[in-house]
Amino acid sequence: MSEDRLFKFGKPQWLNSVWARNAGVYAAGGLFSLGFYILLDSAVWSAHRNPSDVHVTFVDWLPFIFSTLGMLIINSVEKSRLSADSFSYSGSGVAWKARVVLFLGFAALAGGMAGGVTVFVLKFAVPGVDWPAMGMGVENLLANAAVGLSTVVLWVSQNMEDEYAYNLAL
Amino acid sequence: MPTAGLKTIIALSFVLAVGFLLVILSCALWKAYYPLLVVATYVLAPVPNWICSHCANPDDFVESSGAAVLDLGRFCTGFLVVMGIALPILLAHSGIIAYPAMVMSVIGGLLIYGTIISFATFFQEEQDF
Repeated sequence: MSEDRLFKFGKPQWLNSVWARNAGVYAAGGLFSLGFYILLDSAVWSAHRNPSDVHVTFVDWLPFIFSTLGMLIINSVEKSRLSADSFSYSGSGVAWKARVVLFLGFAALAGGMAGGVTVFVLKFAVPGVDWPAMGMGVENLLANAAVGLSTVVLWVSQNMEDEYAYNLAL
Repeated sequence: MPTAGLKTIIALSFVLAVGFLLVILSCALWKAYYPLLVVATYVLAPVPNWICSHCANPDDFVESSGAAVLDLGRFCTGFLVVMGIALPILLAHSGIIAYPAMVMSVIGGLLIYGTIISFATFFQEEQDF
């Protein structure tokens, strides 16, 4: 395990504990919830105390939907099928399929984030919306960033689980 | 596991009552009953974990789908816990409930959830991992 290490500094030992991995999964759920409620906040605020003419419509939700879709796809892929040099499971091109699906997932996630920036620029920044209404665009950006962060945290903690299982198998 | 006796039960029920008091006051004082959703959220929060722990075998490392189901439960629980805090803030930010009501319902919700969690840890049946 320590022979095929790439970097000088190894992972600290506590990172491999079950506790750290469970905390990572909880944190991922919390981050996703944060993103969803930030966007819902912008929608409710737009309906209830919006002084301007700019309103949250379906277009503002679309980037978030794509980010969520990407997150679902990315974290549904079985990570152990990704490495082609794994001695089993690579027979009928499972690794290749996993990579295609994973690519679609990352494309959806990145597309969602880019879409969030697009909505922010085209709907809020370029027309020069004033600040309290500008908050809706910023919240859109924050929501997509939170979903992306949640994906990263979930991915890392699930990879942690593999290391943990490996340790236990030895 | 610390031993839990009668005093723990009394203290926990007292905290639970204070939590409910805060949430209900935050609704009734301003006559906007949306913060009651916080109670529903925190009561529902341990449910995904409970369901998924009954669906999965965590000791199964050969086929790691069991761990995936457990992770799904943890993800949903994390979602619901943050929802309990985010919902009052959202309502207050949009002017549906007042800001003091937001503070009261957040504190009350955290007290309720803390009671549920500590009750679960104190009175968990001994199980060998």
